[in-house]
Amino acid sequence: MPSSSLSSPSPTQRLLGSAQLIYQGAEAKVYKVYLRDPELQQIAKHADHDTCSMAEDAAPVLLKYRFNKRYRHPSLDASLTRQRVAGEARALMRCLRSGVNVPGIRMVDAAGGVLGLEWVDGKSVRVLLPGGSEVMVAQDSDATDDVGPDRCEDAALAEFGVERDDLLSMIGVEIAKMHIADIIHGDLTTSNMMLRRGGKDLVLIDFGLAYHSSLVEDKAVDLYVLERAFASTHPDAEPLFNSVLASYAKRLGKHWSAIKKRLDDVRLRGRKRSMVG
Amino acid sequence: MEAYHYPQFNTVVYTAKFKDIKNAEALRSRIVKAASLDGADGEAERDAVNFAFIEAKLITSSLHLETAIYQALLSESQGSLRTKTIHSEIIWALNPTNNISEAIKLFGVSGRTTDLILVHAATSDTCDVQQKMHNIVDGRLVPMSTIPDSTNWANVKKHYKLNGELALMEIASDSDRERTVIDNIVISTVAMKSVMT
Ligand SMILES: Nc1ncnc2c1ncn2[C@@H]1O[C@H](COP(=O)(O)OP(=O)(O)OP(=O)(O)O)[C@@H](O)[C@H]1O
Ligand SMILES: [Mg+2]
Repeated sequence: MPSSSLSSPSPTQRLLGSAQLIYQGAEAKVYKVYLRDPELQQIAKHADHDTCSMAEDAAPVLLKYRFNKRYRHPSLDASLTRQRVAGEARALMRCLRSGVNVPGIRMVDAAGGVLGLEWVDGKSVRVLLPGGSEVMVAQDSDATDDVGPDRCEDAALAEFGVERDDLLSMIGVEIAKMHIADIIHGDLTTSNMMLRRGGKDLVLIDFGLAYHSSLVEDKAVDLYVLERAFASTHPDAEPLFNSVLASYAKRLGKHWSAIKKRLDDVRLRGRKRSMVG
Repeated sequence: MEAYHYPQFNTVVYTAKFKDIKNAEALRSRIVKAASLDGADGEAERDAVNFAFIEAKLITSSLHLETAIYQALLSESQGSLRTKTIHSEIIWALNPTNNISEAIKLFGVSGRTTDLILVHAATSDTCDVQQKMHNIVDGRLVPMSTIPDSTNWANVKKHYKLNGELALMEIASDSDRERTVIDNIVISTVAMKSVMT
């Protein structure tokens, strides 16, 4: 249904109006918001808790809003948007039940194109590895004076209390858990992973292209996509990606050899394709 | 009693948890009777029990409840309630299946209820809600933050079909961790019910 400009905005549109835009992608806008007034009103005094109210204030939520595509027919656009929101929610649910670290689901308005997720307080893995934080260094002129570009992400990592090698092996473990549950991410990059503050959890995000498959081919391609992302984002990526693979292999155990063989095939195909141009 | 403000819905939702409930069976039959009473008495009775009455033992946190409230408000605003009222919709939203009578049986008040949560949604601040709660519930008011203290975790696992899930097998030995994981999964289940299948 094309929304009429005459009718008053929907609650979800009003919510988006009050939200803070944090990321603008090609497909979606991403916001930070509170689903209700963050401050809870505690009205009654409780018989045995009157000294401390222990009010639980609202936690922020991440809203991923898949906006209308003007170039698509409105009803086709609405149904594609619904399917994308539903698909992302279902993939996250499968991950949650399989013990893969992903954000919890907090709100779904499929008709409105909005998925609300647990807010992950942390940093994108991209900026925690060498080369990924170039934009950040360029913007911060003070930092470039006394701290070299490749120190920046190490400082960020230190703030999380995590060594680079631990981070890389955490990435391998999380992807392995996901593949063991037959979930293919579809867009593995270091931007689509976050390290939670506290440093204990590596969280996989952005399941917009995820799907269910037990095929070795699909898992190998998933890894290959990440390998290419490492190569294009992080200088001297090979040893970094190898650390990821080593911990992935260890977690997969006896299933690793078939995937390794297929990954080699996929690499070869990739190389041939780029030679043909 | 606590009040949650939802400006996007022009709605205030009042919630309160009671423990040591002494009139559960009487309350349950009063709610059932109110639905079929005629005339002014019927109106008054329906007003007296105009709440969602929720079995607190199946609720894992206030966020679990808030998530059901949010999805119910959303359905109401889109004209797509699956049940008669916003209050029954909250109970429907909590139950992982689509069966409304099962939802009320599990998540509503029963003769065995000792811990009960009341929810009332209103379009403006209403000051007599707490008095109305005390008028019908014989129990002790406690903060919503005490919800996890009365949770029956084994039943939650059963009704949300969490037994045997990988997420819980890995951490079975750490009960704090397990509760956090269960809470996150049930919240997520409630949030995505509309796109589950
Ligand atoms: N749950 C979350 N908590 C905090 N920040 C998040 C969360 N999810 C995403 N982000 C931030 O928002 C950015 C964009 O999110 P995401 O990758 O899901 O969207 P997207 O790339 O636009 O999606 P798509 O590729 O489907 O268009 C992330 O890179 C991350 O920095
Ligand atoms: Mg992304």
